[in-house]
Amino acid sequence: MTSRSSRQASSGNSGIIITTLEGVPGKEIIEHYGLVQGSTIRAKHVGKDIMAGLKNLVGGELKGYTELLQEARKEAVERMIEQANFVGANAVVNVRFATSSVAQGAAELFAYGTAVKVQ
Amino acid sequence: MVYKPKEIPEDVNVTPIHPLVNFANLLGTVVVFSAMVYLGLGVVATQLVTRISPEMEMKIGKQLLSSVKTTSTESQSEKLQYLENLLTSLQAPDFNTAIPLTIHIQKSEIANAAIIPGGHILVTTALLEEAESENELAFVLAHELGHHVARDPLKGFGRSLVFLTVASALGMGTGNADIVTLTGSLTNLHYSRQQESAADVYALEAIVRLYGHGDSSLDFFERIKTKDKRSKLSSYFSTHPLTQERVIYLRQVATEKGWQMRGEVTDLPDRVFD
Amino acid sequence: MIEFIILLAVGYFVGSVLEKKHYKDIKKRERKTIHVPIISFGAKQAIPEANEAALFAGSVVVSADYFKMFASSLRNLVGGNVVVYESILDRGRREAILRMKEQAIAWGATQVVNVRLETASIGNQASGGKGLFAVEVIAYGTGIR
Repeated sequence: MTSRSSRQASSGNSGIIITTLEGVPGKEIIEHYGLVQGSTIRAKHVGKDIMAGLKNLVGGELKGYTELLQEARKEAVERMIEQANFVGANAVVNVRFATSSVAQGAAELFAYGTAVKVQ
Repeated sequence: MVYKPKEIPEDVNVTPIHPLVNFANLLGTVVVFSAMVYLGLGVVATQLVTRISPEMEMKIGKQLLSSVKTTSTESQSEKLQYLENLLTSLQAPDFNTAIPLTIHIQKSEIANAAIIPGGHILVTTALLEEAESENELAFVLAHELGHHVARDPLKGFGRSLVFLTVASALGMGTGNADIVTLTGSLTNLHYSRQQESAADVYALEAIVRLYGHGDSSLDFFERIKTKDKRSKLSSYFSTHPLTQERVIYLRQVATEKGWQMRGEVTDLPDRVFD
Repeated sequence: MIEFIILLAVGYFVGSVLEKKHYKDIKKRERKTIHVPIISFGAKQAIPEANEAALFAGSVVVSADYFKMFASSLRNLVGGNVVVYESILDRGRREAILRMKEQAIAWGATQVVNVRLETASIGNQASGGKGLFAVEVIAYGTGIR
């Protein structure tokens, strides 16, 4: 799911390469521009919260929250790519994700990496 | 690999929307949605009220009554007996007796009367002290009877439950829609103006049926206008507002229906009220 | 109700003034420290020749104002992006990175490599209570010179 959402995001943004590796295989990094980051905080409406609370009784996947985090991850990556576009990078390497539950029923997704130019 | 310092010119990670615009949007959505839920649930409650079974209503009433303090001392049993007889004589021949009516006397400095689901009529000691004739006491009882026939207590109960839920969901209310918290405001259940005047008309009709005339029955209303504000009476009518308008409306209805508004006033029995 | 509106208004006006001030300060310091690169890799990539390396960490706790907290509680009912908290986290991250960088620059670092960021919610709102909302951001990396 991660790969799909990030590929979707990258394809819509002038083909910036997103990778968790320290470099882009087969290509050499010629310039780097420092950290780029994207973050978003999202909440689901109260109905979904209640459904999740009910689902919590029996356990299993909380579909509402899975969806929430997927949307949030997609947006965080898009925002990171936007920053990479500003500095004129064509790849973001060593990308890391971090999730935190900032408020009740709301989750933050944060993506960061190093913006670089590859040959 | 060389480093090229570049500034990121825009705050990508902060949505460029004015906080107040965002706030207005949120508040609007929540208010509109709550209003829809409130109205929707009001309709549902009204629908439900006509469908709720007498057994169910009695169950609700029993639960509610458990948190209301009532007195049932020996000295009051005569009064209770008298009030119950009065109540029975006020009932129309086709009165639905699926839910038995019970009267409870509440010790209070505030003159008030209320009806809660399950046919429980609460009358305060202060109200009994203030009453000057049987007719005006009968009017108060018949008014509550009117609410009972229209099943208003259930409707009012259903809505206040919705209110509490919305408030606690927003984190602004007391936080628990506990049944006991509900009963705190139970004697102050607010009925709509239509419900009030329907109960008034019902009451006057019952009075006319019983006594043949509506004289003195509106004395509570009339006295409130002349009496000083600190009177115990004023509190009853503060929960039943628009006294003046109600009297005018009732007199109008009486004229239209040809109800006699003059007649002999029945006194309260001395052995019960000293 | 009046108290509540006063709290909201105070939270909004004071909160946004403080936020603007903080952003101005962040931007100024970012420009000042932009000559030192920070990169999120360095463990496996060949790093530039250097004599010394040291760990630097910068952390900050930023809290939301009353207005933001109320707006987010409404947002929690509606769902969607909690935009009011975005600036809190953004400020926290940039401040934490700046503090790390400034320490490294004072030490004489030419760059900070293998930078990692962590966020934790400190307020009791995350555990269902009302009141405090605050996030702690910690940025850490290796400075080289």
